[in-house]
Amino acid sequence: MAISKDKAILRARDFWGALVLIALSLFFLWRTSFIPLFGENRAGVSGADWYNSAALAPLGIFSALLLMSISMLVTSIKDGGAAQAFSAIGLGFERAEVWRIVTLAIVLLSYIAGLVPRVDFILCSGLLITALIFGYHSGLQRRMGIAAISMFIAGAYALIANFPRSQWNKPHDDDWVTLVVWVVLTLYMLVTARNERVMRFVPWIAVLAPTILVCAMAFGFRQNVPNRGGLIFSQIEYQYYVNIRPMWSK
Amino acid sequence: MIDFLLTQLMGFGGAFYALVADPITYIYLISSVFLGIVFGALPGLTATLAVTILTGFFGNKIPLDYALIALLGAYVGAIYGGSYPSILLNIPGTAASAASAMDGHPLAKAGRGGEALGMTTTASFIGTLIGTTALLIFVWVLLLISQNIASPEKALLALFGILLSGTLMSEDLVVKGWISGMIGLAMAMVGLDPLLSEPRYTFGWSYLLSGFQVVPVLMGAFAIPQIIESLRYAKPGDLVQLKGRVLPNFGQVKKHMPTIARSGVIGTGVGALPGVGEDVAGWVSYGVGKSVSKEPKKFGKGSLEGLLSSETANNACIGGALIPLLVLGIPGSPPAAALMGAFRINNIIPGPTIDPEIILRVVAIMVLASFTMFIMGLFTARLFIQILRLPQTVFLPIVMVLTTIGSFSVGGGINDLYLMLGVGAVAYLMGILRYPIAPLVIGVILGGLFDETFRRSLFLSDGNPMVFISRPGAAILLFMNVALILSQLKFLHRLVRKIFVRS
Repeated sequence: MAISKDKAILRARDFWGALVLIALSLFFLWRTSFIPLFGENRAGVSGADWYNSAALAPLGIFSALLLMSISMLVTSIKDGGAAQAFSAIGLGFERAEVWRIVTLAIVLLSYIAGLVPRVDFILCSGLLITALIFGYHSGLQRRMGIAAISMFIAGAYALIANFPRSQWNKPHDDDWVTLVVWVVLTLYMLVTARNERVMRFVPWIAVLAPTILVCAMAFGFRQNVPNRGGLIFSQIEYQYYVNIRPMWSK
Repeated sequence: MIDFLLTQLMGFGGAFYALVADPITYIYLISSVFLGIVFGALPGLTATLAVTILTGFFGNKIPLDYALIALLGAYVGAIYGGSYPSILLNIPGTAASAASAMDGHPLAKAGRGGEALGMTTTASFIGTLIGTTALLIFVWVLLLISQNIASPEKALLALFGILLSGTLMSEDLVVKGWISGMIGLAMAMVGLDPLLSEPRYTFGWSYLLSGFQVVPVLMGAFAIPQIIESLRYAKPGDLVQLKGRVLPNFGQVKKHMPTIARSGVIGTGVGALPGVGEDVAGWVSYGVGKSVSKEPKKFGKGSLEGLLSSETANNACIGGALIPLLVLGIPGSPPAAALMGAFRINNIIPGPTIDPEIILRVVAIMVLASFTMFIMGLFTARLFIQILRLPQTVFLPIVMVLTTIGSFSVGGGINDLYLMLGVGAVAYLMGILRYPIAPLVIGVILGGLFDETFRRSLFLSDGNPMVFISRPGAAILLFMNVALILSQLKFLHRLVRKIFVRS
């Protein structure tokens, strides 16, 4: 019986998915063997019985996962997944979609791994909002690339210049680099996309949304926020505690 | 029986009065229901996402009462809000409103948009009340029964919840749902084990000793894939002009009351099944509505009965989904899983040992939230319609910032953000391969309970596996688990068919 094109693509992907799951199940079953199962001695202390071992549930779970993954593999092979697995159609490879995902991955990774720990939250979130709206609103690939490059420059600089955790909360020039990248991207956006109504609101959204959020979190809910020593937030915090808060404390 | 009902009503009355008398209640209630409707109305944002984001934002930062108001208000609002784009754009705002688009949009195109919205608002309101009433009554009956539930039953129930959720939430092969649940269970195994404090799969990273935190996992599983998937150019939908008054006609409501009542009961029942959400409730009720209707041919072409069938059921599902959550600690739907996360970060363990006061407060909040939704829906509908014009590429970046700060502030700092991104990438890939995400999250949430109670059962019986059969409750649950698995095996289907054909 012939299966539809969508299903054929899905089964080809399932073939790879099942192989990855089998590999992962085997890896974690091997790791589970590190946990005492049959009451082994550890540093002279007798371990638990098999029925109380910390390895019992993981052993069952990963064994079940292995069996299910094999069943998935069999199903995908039966439905022709293996035959299509190496073709571009079988993988569902579409150049435009891959570009979108790759640039988006660069943007998100630069933000989470590079900027948030090291750069003022308002600055890096403002840059993120600008990059995402400018890059993905119109679906133009060139804009996606520019958005990814902007985030990458700021994120990579912060990551390389201030890699160790001890440097994260200290004020550094990475805040200024992010600010410059943000301003340049905003100006570029306002010039090149001046005919698009949405873009006129982007600078406002990019400034107001993170500022309101971080202030609500820090002063409203009194919670920890990323990078308190950042360029803008440190000023807001100073003004809040020195000038604003005493007004109603009195 | 009457004594029981009176006691319930008095308890509820006390909780309700305490809420109504507190002015801060209204601040949280109005803002959260509003936010919920906005989340539901914007295609690309879901009810689960609304509750997840608010869990990160309010979860453990304000007193539990206010946190519950915010989360339940958003839950009720978001499920209802999904009807706006379904009716006016033919794009379901949430999966729960997918069935509503079938009849809602043709009604709007026929110039009956106002009537459709008004009736939907009323049906959603009544549906929420039906679900809440069931919650008030059945939760106590089940709580009494659940007092006799011990470790073997808890372990098997947790497993049943994961398997059932995997079975019913799978779009493709059922085994994908089960694999998703198993991945969730596997993730819950990371960290110190609950009985012997033996480190598992920590790879020398001290952050992993405490296991995967619920909020970053929720954010990663529900928010990140949504952001990745929806950040693309989307042609603006054709918004149908709203015609006619939104305020419903009493006669019309009375005429459709049997449909609303039936759908409310179906929605509550589906919601009470562990792990099965509002989308299933909407479709089941729609299907039943079509099969019992006097005019089934009108379904899909602009039937008010069809619209009310799905819209009542998806809101009634909320109350139903809270029953297994509060009684057994097993979320009845994906947003309820997010609620479970909020309970967990407040050190409250839903289940037989839960403080009864919390249940009464939940019921009171649900009633207040449904009234707020009803009033907002009727009198500010045109404001929400304006929101439909907002492109998703504008609000999704803000959602990303919200999830980042919400995840960060829960406690784990930057490591939680890495976890969120990692889970998000896995969930996105699983989405591409059509693996449902809800069983994974339910697996993560119930994994600890399953591990602990499964091993405790064996420990107390000196390793005798008969402990899962010797107790009547456990035996029934074991049978249900086995039957569920066997019912999905194809070769057994063929075998049974052969036997029947021969006989």
